[in-house]
Amino acid sequence: MINEEKVILMTKLASYEAGKGKKDILVVNYFRSDYIGFQILKSVIAATISFCALFAVYAFYNFEELMQDVYKMDLLEYGKSIIILYLCAVGAYGVISYVMYASRYSRAKKSLKNYQVNLRRLASMYDK
Amino acid sequence: MTTLLVAKQYIINFISKYEVYLKPLLKLILALTSLMMINAKIGYMHRLDNTALVLIISLMCSFMPTNFIIFAAAVFTVLHMYELSLECAAIALVLFLVMFLLYFRFSPKDTLVVVLTPICFVLKIPYVVPLAMGLLGTPASAVSVGCGVVANYLIAYVADSAATLSGMGAEDMATKFRFVVDGFLNNKVMMLTIAAFAVTIIIVYLIRRMSVNYAWTIAIIAGALADVMILLIGDLKFDTNVSITGIIAGTIFSVLIAKVVEFFAFNVDYSRTEKVQFEDDEYYYYVKAVPKITVATPSKTVKRINTSRKRYSGSQQRK
Repeated sequence: MINEEKVILMTKLASYEAGKGKKDILVVNYFRSDYIGFQILKSVIAATISFCALFAVYAFYNFEELMQDVYKMDLLEYGKSIIILYLCAVGAYGVISYVMYASRYSRAKKSLKNYQVNLRRLASMYDK
Repeated sequence: MTTLLVAKQYIINFISKYEVYLKPLLKLILALTSLMMINAKIGYMHRLDNTALVLIISLMCSFMPTNFIIFAAAVFTVLHMYELSLECAAIALVLFLVMFLLYFRFSPKDTLVVVLTPICFVLKIPYVVPLAMGLLGTPASAVSVGCGVVANYLIAYVADSAATLSGMGAEDMATKFRFVVDGFLNNKVMMLTIAAFAVTIIIVYLIRRMSVNYAWTIAIIAGALADVMILLIGDLKFDTNVSITGIIAGTIFSVLIAKVVEFFAFNVDYSRTEKVQFEDDEYYYYVKAVPKITVATPSKTVKRINTSRKRYSGSQQRK
């Protein structure tokens, strides 16, 4: 005989596994620190590329002024100010990514925990 | 109202039944519309301005993930701009790169708005986008809508100044570059629209989450009013020369569309039909889980009017 309650539970579990669960399992496969660290690394790389692209636009826009002043200005000071700007931008973006991915990890863990509770319920049905 | 709710239920049932075919079809229509609009507005590269090519790419989009539409639209835009001038293409490329790298890593669900916003601008109902996103999204959707507005104004600016750009000599790269950046960044209407849309999204989102009766309707109306007010005050302050009748008519139409969005999105469990397969020790299961119908079709009530007649005739007979 088919146990209806078991089928309903199994359907729920299977649909979670096929949908949202796939992503959650991928996330929770990492340790929290590893997952967040890896995502922040990706964010830093993305922010660096974006900063370089925007700086290139800025430099090309002010190309003439830069060429005129290149011998007059203190290049070291100019470089320093750009590096500080870069660090601020990347730092701010890193903090935003940390908050986003930390909450994403905790959400994934929570829903996976729910999944495991249902899995245990299913296992106990077999024991009966 | 019951008829409307029943109609809604029929539509939802229809969608959940044919979702496998409807989703690619909608993606195809969206990709086709956006690519054809790009071609119509800035179709400088003749090889891309080809119906067969657009159809092939749209068909590809229908089977690929939704975000591929945005990628295809961005590639089309950059290539068309490259044909006009290298500087425009470089600026568009940087803009799209920053959008994809910085923002769309976080919220891949919102990316479709970047394509929908310019389409709504062409249809003269851009005001529906912040209202709908306030109802369906989060305050973070303001960034997606902002990206859509930026993409729209970039395309519009390049289309408007194409003659000037092609008139400039090829050797004058720095001047051309400055011309495009200046014209694009000094666009007050764009800045004003971004600000108005962001405020609208936040207002709609905050009000629709309040626990008051008709929160969604109040949110739509308040959002629409705020949007109109900001645009009109901005027009007075910065002299943006926007069409006041256009804003008001567009907003009224947008409110109506937002009401339709509300009707379909409010309190609806969009859990779709699910087909899953699994097995245990005894059976293989092929389960199709269909969501329950929440609104039943109105039951017909039969009023018996014959009974009273009988009684009447009975009383006559007694006489």
